[in-house]
Amino acid sequence: MAKTMTAKTRMRFFKRREKQLNRSVAGNTLLFALMAVCGVFMVLPLVMIVNNAMKPLDELYQFPPKIFVRNPTLENFSDLFTLMNDSWVPFSRYILNTIIITGGGMLGHVIVASMAAYPLAKNKFPGKQLLFSMVVLSMMFSWTVTQIPQYLIISYLHINNTYAALILPAWSFGMGLYLMKQFMEQLPDSLMESARLDGANEWKIFWSIVMPNVKSAWLTLAIFQFQQMWGNTGSLFLRDEQLKPLQYALQQITAGGVARAGAAAAVTFIIAAVPITFFLICQSNVLETMTTSGMKE
Amino acid sequence: MAELAKRPRRPRSKSSLLQKRDRKGYLFILPWVAGFLIFYVRSIVMTLQFSFSELTMDAAAGGYQLRFVGPENFLYAFRVHASFKQILTTSVLDMVVDVPLIIFFSLFIAMLLNKKFPGKGIVRAIFFLPVILNSGAITAAMDLSATMMNGGVTSQVTEMAAAGATTSSVAFSMDYLIDMFVSLGIPAKLLDYMVAAVDRINDIILASGVQIVIFIAALQSIPSSLYEVARIEGATGYETFWKVTFPMVMPHIITNIVYTIVDSYTESDVVDLAYQTAFGEFNYGLSSVFSLVSTIVTCLILVLVCGYIQKRTFYYT
Repeated sequence: MAKTMTAKTRMRFFKRREKQLNRSVAGNTLLFALMAVCGVFMVLPLVMIVNNAMKPLDELYQFPPKIFVRNPTLENFSDLFTLMNDSWVPFSRYILNTIIITGGGMLGHVIVASMAAYPLAKNKFPGKQLLFSMVVLSMMFSWTVTQIPQYLIISYLHINNTYAALILPAWSFGMGLYLMKQFMEQLPDSLMESARLDGANEWKIFWSIVMPNVKSAWLTLAIFQFQQMWGNTGSLFLRDEQLKPLQYALQQITAGGVARAGAAAAVTFIIAAVPITFFLICQSNVLETMTTSGMKE
Repeated sequence: MAELAKRPRRPRSKSSLLQKRDRKGYLFILPWVAGFLIFYVRSIVMTLQFSFSELTMDAAAGGYQLRFVGPENFLYAFRVHASFKQILTTSVLDMVVDVPLIIFFSLFIAMLLNKKFPGKGIVRAIFFLPVILNSGAITAAMDLSATMMNGGVTSQVTEMAAAGATTSSVAFSMDYLIDMFVSLGIPAKLLDYMVAAVDRINDIILASGVQIVIFIAALQSIPSSLYEVARIEGATGYETFWKVTFPMVMPHIITNIVYTIVDSYTESDVVDLAYQTAFGEFNYGLSSVFSLVSTIVTCLILVLVCGYIQKRTFYYT
């Protein structure tokens, strides 16, 4: 027992010295204070969303508004579930749709974009620079202004009113390719060279050497893409009620206006909570990937 | 032996082995490029096509008709349209002010968040919140709750409460400070920039969620052995930052600049204007011109900035 204690104190002692080497305690405190101020600003809307979701109706309408709830209740959520049961498409169908669209769009994008990024980062071939410029250019055409051409293309392909209308365009989005390429460029060539000498084919190198080494990059990409797909109501391409995602159904409840204020507050909570949870899961896996850990140079 | 030497050599030399490998790269890119050509390149081409023509919806035939009008739409946008040029200039200037601030702020926060401390995950999530809360449904719901709170009366008080910040009370002291700085002889241009920057602190914090996450991933991919070496060699924190951290995250500074420019462009007033023209006034030709011209301007900025930084970028290979 005593032995571990000394080990601990010794470790703490070393840590402290290490920190002092880098920056003074006062400087650290100041930096964290600054960060805390910024953080408080950002967390305020979320605090409001959480509290609103638990406010009874009279507190929701209170003026001047209070941030914190005084008599917390779960009434809003039970209201929401009643509304869900009343919808003429079973609510589980909306959830299934969301899982298919979000999951398909996210996984497909991460894999397709990483596959394309690997040769772009590590190989030389004619047309590489042109392709890459096209990628950056395509990111500039925002969704809102190309809605009409997008719609026309989707209907030419006859995938209107299917899941594919939402999933397939997401696969070829430019941002993911760009991000993955930047990260793969930093991998040392010798890592791939040694795998090649050991007889690995290109797919094997990509899947078991490159991808694990840029794990932090594709987890980050997954977060972005999840957020994109999760926020998609699909109202432009999906006409059948059976195909629409959860986001659409929840938005309909919010659109009910003042009469559904309580349920709407609960909806906002759910819409915000899911991506935050996903973010936390992904971020906890972003650890140092140790690119050069297998290298002796 | 002689027979072996006589046999015609296979046309492949050593360099073509590399070429063969590089050709395999096409297979990897293929799925992405196929989707890219179908969904994105075509919509860009169509936008280009629209900008040179007049588009009329034909409800009876269930489609649309294009009539080629040449550069008429472009001439209209630049010579006749009341606000396009002005909106374009302000959008571009806003971008120029915002981008460096967002990059510095997000790198700074990412470095703080990259340290090990209890509740690290939660704090990172907090800084990513604006991105999550920026979705359509949440904005709609927040608007609804704002209207509920003021009981249908649209008073400024609630707007301020919703925004979480009010500037009117500090306006006086701000003016006083600015006057003081002017009389101290600080260049007016620099001062304008600083005032604009301070004015935007909230926007900047809100717009750097994605960049922070990218920088965290970048900082995570720096091999710890480099820091170890720096420590053993006796480098100070300041030196470690400039000799290790900064060069290693340099490629991702470009990534973030590209992302920031794209992001601030797609949320800018020009895009709003193009959207309004298309879906409010149903003038698709003019709308395409707006998005084309502003895209080209933004691309030029992007190419200039990235070209400049790329030359100074260090790639760890």
